[in-house]
Amino acid sequence: MPERAQFVDMLVRFGHELRGAGLAAGSGDLMTYAAALAELDPSDLADVYWAGRTILVTRRDDIAAYDRVFRRFFLGADDPVAEVLRLNPGMPAGTSEAALVVPAADQALDEQQDRQAVLGLMASDAEALRHKSFPACTPEELAAVRRIMARMRLTPPRRRTRRTVPARDGSALDVRRMIRQSLRAHSEPAKLYWRQRKTRLRPLILILDVSGSMADYSRNLLQFAYSAKRAAARVEVFCFGTRLTRVTRELDHRRPDDALARAARTVFDWEGGTRIGGSLESFVSDWGRRGLCRGGIVVICSDGLDRGDPAVLAAAMERLARLSHRIVWMNPHKRDDVAFRPSTLGMMVAAPHVDLLLSGHDLNSLEELAAMLPSLD
Amino acid sequence: MDRPESVAELTAALRQGGYLADRGLATALFVAIRLHRPVLLEGEVGVGKTEVAKVLASIFGRRLIRLQCYEGIDTSQALYEWDYARQMLHIRALSEQQVADPDAVDKLFGPKFLLERPLLEAVKAGDRAVLLIDEVDRADDEFEAFLLELLSDFQISIPEIGTIAADRPPLVVLTSNRTRELHDALKRRCLYHWIDYPAAEREVEIVLLKEPGVGEALTRKVVAAVQRLRELDLAKPPGVAETIDWARTLSFLGETDLGAAVASDTLGAVIKERDDLDVVRDNLAEITSGA
Repeated sequence: MPERAQFVDMLVRFGHELRGAGLAAGSGDLMTYAAALAELDPSDLADVYWAGRTILVTRRDDIAAYDRVFRRFFLGADDPVAEVLRLNPGMPAGTSEAALVVPAADQALDEQQDRQAVLGLMASDAEALRHKSFPACTPEELAAVRRIMARMRLTPPRRRTRRTVPARDGSALDVRRMIRQSLRAHSEPAKLYWRQRKTRLRPLILILDVSGSMADYSRNLLQFAYSAKRAAARVEVFCFGTRLTRVTRELDHRRPDDALARAARTVFDWEGGTRIGGSLESFVSDWGRRGLCRGGIVVICSDGLDRGDPAVLAAAMERLARLSHRIVWMNPHKRDDVAFRPSTLGMMVAAPHVDLLLSGHDLNSLEELAAMLPSLD
Repeated sequence: MDRPESVAELTAALRQGGYLADRGLATALFVAIRLHRPVLLEGEVGVGKTEVAKVLASIFGRRLIRLQCYEGIDTSQALYEWDYARQMLHIRALSEQQVADPDAVDKLFGPKFLLERPLLEAVKAGDRAVLLIDEVDRADDEFEAFLLELLSDFQISIPEIGTIAADRPPLVVLTSNRTRELHDALKRRCLYHWIDYPAAEREVEIVLLKEPGVGEALTRKVVAAVQRLRELDLAKPPGVAETIDWARTLSFLGETDLGAAVASDTLGAVIKERDDLDVVRDNLAEITSGA
């Protein structure tokens, strides 16, 4: 049937277009699509549209892209993307990175010999490094700091779960095990076995300020997130500047520096400036409300210089405090000052909802966080 | 009805069952039924995701089997478990001689002592059931991998009994509130549909269908107000269920019009969060004005 072949050919071309737009439409999906249209009425464009949408689209974020391709392919409409681009005059490529100075930690490793010499020097200097503020570190020193940090264990506190495990003594009888044992002993229940509630690590959520002045500190916290992931905890990482973006997925297969640079490109607008209130609010309403930080430890790293409305920040912090278990704020301006009083308006507004205020400006203070974390219960 | 012949037929049947589905949802369900594919419904809270499965079960005269997911759900709660207490009693009742019988243990692990949980029940019922896997995003990732296996071939292996397979798979509806992203593999096994808030006209229809006692004029005003509420920046925007609740509340109180004062008194039916209440109270006159 040439007609049928033509039709399938058209669907395949549509699938290719979708793939070009970033949708993961595999051959299997296209076969399902063709099978679905055989059940439906292929001459009805609404059927073609909805069947495709339900089979080829697997997440809500892809619906817009699907619509665009569908319009272009079946209706011959112009690509509206061009208009969007015109409406939002984007910045020239690379401008945003100016807001974030990425240190060339790896460039220093070009020559093997140099590197070894530096390492020897570093090893003897580890203690001095502990109290050196990150921005003051040379790239070689930062690389050394990273190595020390990679060995740190970051363990969030634990919480009880619904599941139970066999235990020496516990809260409930392990009937299952008792039966198994008594079957072996010819039906005489011999001994009591117990089960106990299991515990698991609380999730850890890092919300990092990556604006110019904070980037150096945030980058080191990202390294921390890596360590925490190794401790089998659930770790979520968000970056913000003018806007908020989630970088957890990028962190899975990118080096922390790359992930941060990418994040910086997406979170800054032309005018720059930090909007802590707005960013936290979007965290709460887009992620927190859906349960991402329930029972979790939220670590915010920022200097508290907020260009937005303090009322927005106050409301966001209040909601965040109610959604999460504990909030830790890392403010590098605190340094080692014990009598530190927050001076920025943003910090003052946020302070009532913060459970623990740390500095996070040097290795020592990060170790302090690692030490405090398990006890934040 | 056994199975629908067209999208229009399915839409009409759903309407008869008290559910107004738009073209997109009806198409997704139609394809799911005809191609025997599970369907994954996502959407904001209160747009009627769970309701879809219930209505499908009732219009096709199938049994609704529901698996509510939660953090830490495991196979003994989802699939099957041995009834240990009965096994124990059974052993006690056996005489010494019977216990020595080699078949005794085999009998002990027979179907008689098997507690069926929703997934096993659904596989056994086959196409006489609608399986609702509710809020799958709450379960752990490992459970998702397990579901994936089940949804691909609808068979369950029990070491002591053997493999149980469905001749014809049940109709499977999964729902998710997007508290986390589901695994791609699971999503690709399913048809996907995002349920949005209904347009004003359709929402009026829905309320009138669900609460025939409420006057149409009042319903229109309530729906207009709710639609405006959704435009506000609320932590928890009201769903369709809230609209129905509000209309029912007002009608119960004998109101025929939605003024600012009445709205303020009954706000608890739509707004369930204190912060939101403050926001709404500030804008109440505006919300009810054009109603």
